[in-house]
Amino acid sequence: MKELGGLANLRSSTVSDRYIFANDEGRFFAGQHDLLSRIDSNELSDREFAFLQERFFLKNSQLEKHASLFARARRKTGVEGMEYLILVPTLRCNLACSYCQVSRANENAEGYDWDAATLEHVTDLIRQFSARSLKIEFQGGEPTLRPDLIRAILDAGSHIPDMTAVICTNLQRLDEEILGIFNKENVQISTSLDGSLATHQSQRTKDMGLTSEFEKNLNLLLDRYGSEKISALPTVDPTNLPVAEELIEAFVARGFRSIYLRPINFQGFARKQHPDSVDHTEAWRAYYEKFIYHLIERNWANQSEVVEETYFSQILSRIFRPGQDRHVDLRNPNPIGVDYVVVDFDGKVYPTDEARMLTRSGIIDLSIGDIETGWDTPERQTLHDVSTNEHDPVCQKCVYQPYCGRDIVDDISRYGRIDVPRDETYFCQRHLAIFDLAFSLIYSKDESVQYSLRHWLGLSGAEITLGETL
Amino acid sequence: MIPLTLPALSDAEKPFVTRLRIVPSDQESDSCCIEQAENQLLFSGEHGLFQVSGSKADALDGDIVIVTPAENKVERIIRSGSAQNSLLVTERCDQLCVMCSQPPKKTHFDRFELFTQAALLAENGITIGITGGEPTLYKDSVFNLIRTVFETRPDLNFHILTNGQHFQESDLETLRNPWFRNVVWGIPLYSHIAETHDEIVAKKGAFDRLHESLNYLLLSGARLELRTVILQSNLDSFPGLAKHITGILHFVEQWSIMQLENIGFTRNRWDSLYVDLRNDFKSIASALDIATLFGVNSKLFNVPLCHLSEFHRNFAVNSISDWKQRFGERCSMCSKIDDCSGFFEWHPPEFLEQVTPI
Repeated sequence: MKELGGLANLRSSTVSDRYIFANDEGRFFAGQHDLLSRIDSNELSDREFAFLQERFFLKNSQLEKHASLFARARRKTGVEGMEYLILVPTLRCNLACSYCQVSRANENAEGYDWDAATLEHVTDLIRQFSARSLKIEFQGGEPTLRPDLIRAILDAGSHIPDMTAVICTNLQRLDEEILGIFNKENVQISTSLDGSLATHQSQRTKDMGLTSEFEKNLNLLLDRYGSEKISALPTVDPTNLPVAEELIEAFVARGFRSIYLRPINFQGFARKQHPDSVDHTEAWRAYYEKFIYHLIERNWANQSEVVEETYFSQILSRIFRPGQDRHVDLRNPNPIGVDYVVVDFDGKVYPTDEARMLTRSGIIDLSIGDIETGWDTPERQTLHDVSTNEHDPVCQKCVYQPYCGRDIVDDISRYGRIDVPRDETYFCQRHLAIFDLAFSLIYSKDESVQYSLRHWLGLSGAEITLGETL
Repeated sequence: MIPLTLPALSDAEKPFVTRLRIVPSDQESDSCCIEQAENQLLFSGEHGLFQVSGSKADALDGDIVIVTPAENKVERIIRSGSAQNSLLVTERCDQLCVMCSQPPKKTHFDRFELFTQAALLAENGITIGITGGEPTLYKDSVFNLIRTVFETRPDLNFHILTNGQHFQESDLETLRNPWFRNVVWGIPLYSHIAETHDEIVAKKGAFDRLHESLNYLLLSGARLELRTVILQSNLDSFPGLAKHITGILHFVEQWSIMQLENIGFTRNRWDSLYVDLRNDFKSIASALDIATLFGVNSKLFNVPLCHLSEFHRNFAVNSISDWKQRFGERCSMCSKIDDCSGFFEWHPPEFLEQVTPI
């Protein structure tokens, strides 16, 4: 009888004709389909036993057992206090994109900006902030319509040693005042670039004059600051998918090497205008896979510029590295109102931007409090307690659980409830597809695939084997 | 090289700790320079007058020193503005590492009381090293020092070098105290193969005993840095060691991979120990990749940047203490000199020629 401590938690799954085994720590290998039953009946060969022992799948010593517990704990999100504030100083915007995610108000509308009391509460919160680091994201609406509010916030946080601010802007208007803010070293600029200018115009600006204004401003900022300070995100309409090559070239030509390919999450206004968007899972999966393969080919052909899809790199990182829990789109549990919140134009506080949109579109009120009285509320606690995949019977069998996350707001927005069997949800299907793709690439023998994976993971050499096989 | 010990004359009966100042100060712990002439400085403080020679007064301002009248010397224990201050708490050790830079001695002079006084005077927020010899041969004294300092100076940090041979289950309660929050233990581990490690540290069973200690340190939430010096005898085991660390020692804050220092035992063994990384980097590159893949933060110490590929320069730390750092003539043409560790003062002089300005 061999001592097989630690192997009880192995799970398996088939990924493109291969059996993947993983434990609760997220350590994995590929092996034969009947391995689990042979573990159960204690019939492992010496070779298999040695493989599992050398890779610490077997837990014999006290150190091995405790290190394993530690690794499992690190797979769980560990956050203690506020790290990330999303602020919406105004809901007004000078564009009216068809899929506007946030709902918006007209540029000249009244009553859609922080009032004096709300500003005071937000600045108080930041002035009293005592931790070392804080990230503030200005969302909208279009935050640059109120540079005075942005400045007030930055001033309030001047005591925080490591404060960074991201200003999410459509770049339709740039003046000296706004450039003065952008000049600050700790300010980053984030904008939308939907791919080619034609796509950008049809989805966003609608008007040639506005499009060229955007392009001029983006180029000006890139000249002035370089692409380090600026990030651009494409909004991709799954019912009208752009040509992948065109999208990639639009980014690479401007010096961007990271593209975060996100399908529009139709909510609020967008849902009304795109009724056919509800079921696009399969089309999106196929497009995403094609996109990743296109990047792989491009990186292999042109090794001087390695381009990545941001979310895919994040997924790869989560597969190999415990403790990557600062990406709020994918983590488990996904704490509600702990390390980040959204403060809306009216001072209401939401757990995520999507929760804000859902509320704005009148589907369900997901606010967890307000900036004046705080958000340590029963509403927050209720959402917080269920924001996990921990005890889900489907997830418990899934080989990807250690890497995956939970998004209850997405469930609510699509199904109006959070107890839909996990594998029937969009979130699960989308992520299963990405993890399947990731593992089939990890085990690909194609040199060009391995080349991109190594770069996306920040590795140097060709020596390393990403996926081991028993 | 910056001198750490200077000749001094004092009539005090016992060794004492004081802070040197060139401007008047009314703090009891300060000694102020009241006369300067020809490299002779006269200080006055609560332990009376004492004379220091061999340095300009400006260079000593703010230094925390131990004056030992019987030996006519002053030691600059915590130098003002330096990021590299270490308290050598003992010269005894129970290992005899093949490359030891500070070969152990049999006798021990207990100066914990003086070191504690010195630490209490340190500038706000600095990190103080504790080294040896093997500090944990006097584990209770080390714990006492940490506790006493933490009680009034929670702003200070300690970095303690230890061979990890002496932690016990009964230490858990102590190690879990909040006073260890600012303490990082630097622990050498030379190979994932027990025999190789044991041979390098010249102690049978050291590898197993170290792992027993690592279990206690994990259980107490201790902050750890693993340190591996590159030697001919362990070069090939680096990838295996990386797998070992990412497998069961992934809870460390950092894995420091260090190039050899030509001092102590190494002086006479250089040719059989030293690895020229310019010709032989594959094993280290592979280890760095494995550590990076699994999210273990790793760093390269004591390697000049021009000995590394551009990619691997990101791992290099400007690590050599200011008082023993040295550059070649051609280094003055290098754009990266400010980020570079340079060479140890006592490295063979021909090394200074082995540079390629970047």
